[in-house]
Amino acid sequence: MRALGKAASDDDRPLVERVRKGDQDAVRSLYERYFDRIYNYAYARLGRAEDAEDLAIDTMTKSLTRLDLFRDEGVAFSSWVYRIAHNATIDHYRRHGKMALVSLEHAPPLASADPSELAVEQLSNDDLHAAIRDLTDEQQQVLILRFFQDLTANQVAGIMGKSVGAVQALQHRALGSLERALQGRAAS
Amino acid sequence: MTPEVQRLERLAERLRAVDPFVAPPGAKIRGWNLVLAAVEQSTAARSRAHPVRRLIVGLVAAGVLLVAGALAASADSLPDSPIYPLKGVLENVRGALAFGASDKLAYHLDLARTRLTEAEAMISRHRVDLAGTSLKALDDQLKSAALLVQTERLANPAAAVHLQDRLRQAVATDDQQLADLQVQVQTPAAAGAISQARQHATDALKLAEQPAASPTASPGGPGGHASPSHANGHASPTGSP
Repeated sequence: MRALGKAASDDDRPLVERVRKGDQDAVRSLYERYFDRIYNYAYARLGRAEDAEDLAIDTMTKSLTRLDLFRDEGVAFSSWVYRIAHNATIDHYRRHGKMALVSLEHAPPLASADPSELAVEQLSNDDLHAAIRDLTDEQQQVLILRFFQDLTANQVAGIMGKSVGAVQALQHRALGSLERALQGRAAS
Repeated sequence: MTPEVQRLERLAERLRAVDPFVAPPGAKIRGWNLVLAAVEQSTAARSRAHPVRRLIVGLVAAGVLLVAGALAASADSLPDSPIYPLKGVLENVRGALAFGASDKLAYHLDLARTRLTEAEAMISRHRVDLAGTSLKALDDQLKSAALLVQTERLANPAAAVHLQDRLRQAVATDDQQLADLQVQVQTPAAAGAISQARQHATDALKLAEQPAASPTASPGGPGGHASPSHANGHASPTGSP
């Protein structure tokens, strides 16, 4: 897997302070640090390069021009950026009328499908992306942040406003739902 | 590890191996240009708001300077001045900061001198009414000083002797000044007010020599009789009417 650059972390604070003072170099540094990650997140959520580009630019613009709304009280700047991206995703779904709300969590496995027969190594990236987009909003978010963005459960908890335990439970359920979604796709 | 957990672990590993979507260089450059323009616009909007903030800060600073200037100017003001009441404010502050019998006595004697000077100025301006009020305030300050000496005698007789000497000297000086003033005035009302003030000064001296009425008598300090808290507005900033 190709790295997405420096991992989101709490050491953004000095840069954020410099941006607040009008330092354009600091704006550039934060942009470089987050643009690719947000683009990747948006592409995984929306599935279209054009939409991902718009969403990433929109998110970075809001993040870097509305720092007056960001209160550095226990919330990392990275969490704030991802929350903006998440809200932009929801807005996009609302505008375009697509929202995966059907949970596959309790869906019974297909009668003809045996989970053990699912050869995950042979799944294409496109299959995985398409199946992820069949999941609920929260399940998509946790899988993308944990496995595509390579964030820790603690960081994801900060972004989603949940406890670490809740994130781990959600991740487990999301993987189960993804497995069922992949089985369904394989069977059809 | 159960078979289900093993399967989900394998699926998780597969997800980790997915190549990330990378933004085309063109998209990143376009994004940067748009973000930079938005940031510059936002900065410009903020700096447009700054003049308002600067104006508010300037007005507050001007207000503070105005009050400070008025207070400073009031220190030398006379009873016929519109800023004379501010002089009482400063004197009250001074009184609140006077600790110990010696400091309090100095405070009262100083205010007595100030009132006498004001009375002289008012007489020279033919404001006998305001001069009378200043002389009354002078009496009040001397009486407060006398009560202070009385009280100190109960607590510290040796120190009281020293305070009494200071009061005696101050009354003698004031009386001499009042006597000089008395021969200069031409109106009977002014002469009468000065005569009364001289009598009250002598009475204050006698009062200081008497034993205190009770151990709990008022020390006549800044919060006591004829203290700044008895301010009388325009004509006497800290004395009684």
